[in-house]
Amino acid sequence: MSGVPSLSDLNLAATLPVSFLALYACLLMIVDLFVPRTRKHITAGLTMLGLGIALVLALLPLAGAARFGDGERAFGGMYIADSFSDGVNVIVLITALLGVMVAYNYLDRIQRQRGEYYSLLLFTTLGVMMMGAAGDLVVVFVALELLSIPLYILSGFRRPQEASEESALKYFILGAFASGFLVYGIALIYGATGVTDFEGIWAAVEEIVAEDASSKYLLLVGAGLLLVGLGFKVAAVPFHMWTPDVYQGAPTSVVAYMSVAAKVGGFAALVRVLGSGMVNFALDGGLVAAWQDTVWLIAALTMILGNFVAIVQSDLKRLLAYSSIAHAGYMLIGVAAAGSAPVADEAARAVIMYLMAYAFTNVGAFAVVIAVERDDASNTGLESMRGLAVKQPLLAASMAIFMFSLTGIPLTAGFIGKWFVFKAAIAADLIPVAVVGVLTSLISAFYYLRIVWYMYFESGESEAHVPVPLAWAISIAAVGTLLLGIFPYLLSDMTHKITLAFGP
Amino acid sequence: MELTAESIVFLIMSAITLGGGLLVVSARNLFHAGLYLMVSLLGVAGLFVLLSAPFLAGVQVVVYIGAIAILIILAIMLTPSVTQLPAIFNRQWAFNLALAAFFFVLLVSVVSPIMGELGVDAWNADFTQKNPADVPADSIVNLGKDLVDPDKYMLPFEVASVLLMAALIGAVLLVSPDKAKADEGGED
Repeated sequence: MSGVPSLSDLNLAATLPVSFLALYACLLMIVDLFVPRTRKHITAGLTMLGLGIALVLALLPLAGAARFGDGERAFGGMYIADSFSDGVNVIVLITALLGVMVAYNYLDRIQRQRGEYYSLLLFTTLGVMMMGAAGDLVVVFVALELLSIPLYILSGFRRPQEASEESALKYFILGAFASGFLVYGIALIYGATGVTDFEGIWAAVEEIVAEDASSKYLLLVGAGLLLVGLGFKVAAVPFHMWTPDVYQGAPTSVVAYMSVAAKVGGFAALVRVLGSGMVNFALDGGLVAAWQDTVWLIAALTMILGNFVAIVQSDLKRLLAYSSIAHAGYMLIGVAAAGSAPVADEAARAVIMYLMAYAFTNVGAFAVVIAVERDDASNTGLESMRGLAVKQPLLAASMAIFMFSLTGIPLTAGFIGKWFVFKAAIAADLIPVAVVGVLTSLISAFYYLRIVWYMYFESGESEAHVPVPLAWAISIAAVGTLLLGIFPYLLSDMTHKITLAFGP
Repeated sequence: MELTAESIVFLIMSAITLGGGLLVVSARNLFHAGLYLMVSLLGVAGLFVLLSAPFLAGVQVVVYIGAIAILIILAIMLTPSVTQLPAIFNRQWAFNLALAAFFFVLLVSVVSPIMGELGVDAWNADFTQKNPADVPADSIVNLGKDLVDPDKYMLPFEVASVLLMAALIGAVLLVSPDKAKADEGGED
């Protein structure tokens, strides 16, 4: 136990994308001090460079070109560097890259161009990556905080604007509350199983189920509280109340990033904890985990509420907030499907694919909102879309692609994501939830396509300014959305190696 | 009656705990009451040290004095109107006194039958843990080792340090005066 451990003991190389980015983020923070206030494009550029290198480091193992380190376990099993974490890394790094692109000019416009924005963005990204790679509940908790706290701060970045401060405070208070639930859940799971690492939990659950020990109730309550804590982060009903207010008040560039990143982190942890650690938690001795019913119920509620409330929204940011709640519901279908042990891997793949599709689409949609938003945070109503196709044909076309993708129309990424999630649900015998998913997708077409209608078939005084980085971000997002939709094997190749199961 | 060094320390710590507690309920200034609460908790931490339970003593200081008492004081400072109480006693004082007395009797009646087993049945007994081996005295050492043990909690430890740095940056950012603020104006 004592003595200096060597780096090979730690298997530090396996954590290369994360450890590189952690080091880079700390260095960037110091370098930024020497960048004058008027030349912050240097900081933004350096941030993108770091994210780009980390993305390459994450893509290499995924493409099978290189495998860092010795085996999947690092830090004694605290960190799991498998295909799942590679997938999570790629998604969140792409999101962060787009997030920097959409933020740079926006920060100039709102006169909050500060280097801390980029450092905090990198720290959040690190938190998401850690959540995807967590092999232990302790890491899940610390990583969740690393993901959340910079997001609270970023939500309030547009100080002293009141809406921004209000959103930060709301997000912080409710988020701290949710973290409390999560810790309580972790404590109860530890109480029931005596361990905090997923593999140990898996083995302990196996024993609890075999012996029908009374600690199964403790475990059930623990899993429930954990679901509450993580459900808050991914904005699942009934823990979604904060979402519209925070999305509306926070700077739009932050929302573009956060709407995806927080979901990636939350779902990565949900899949890891429930789908991998407790997948065998079947109370009736079958192959279906005890938490599955709860998760699919939440999924159905989330889809129904998100889509129906989105219909009546007149503000783009609020509409996209409810749309993001609805999409959390679709992803929760995937999590629920992971509760059936035979389809657990397929469901985990489906969730990753959905997140990938969602990342491009949603960042893109918010990037368009940034383009039409005025400097004083106004003009984000639906009417700002009227006649956009005449003034800005390319911007309108991109927005149309994003809306089609969010609806789930074929040849867009959103369709592929939904396809795989529904497929996993049917394989897991959750046909009613899949039906709810399809029906609510139909309903969602109403409000998504209304935006397209406004842009193309109504006339209005729309205005938009699209500086070069923002134009690049929107183009990349649009191309990504189309590419993933037309060549779905890009996604399935990326995820086909994902296996979560422990044991034989 | 023979006083050992331990019993003297015990008496001092007890006096700090009880005296602090008494001052908490009798102080007219709510802010002072908060400070006295910290004194009282410090006495409890001292008792834990006497009982060879350094971990509990540390937790007592870090969690109760460091976090909870500070929170209470912050809450008092944020609500200045209640700082100065008009009177120490309100209408419920008699009821509360009875409740406290009842609780005291309850505690004594529960603890006194096992006083002999605990070895505190006489004033000249040592007031420390009879058999320190009963207490996992090296728990703090283990905790410290596990925190930086690469096979245990090194990774969460490192992540937590990054997290704290992010939180520090955020705190500075949120309170630092904004140079652009003067240009914007009209926000209030």
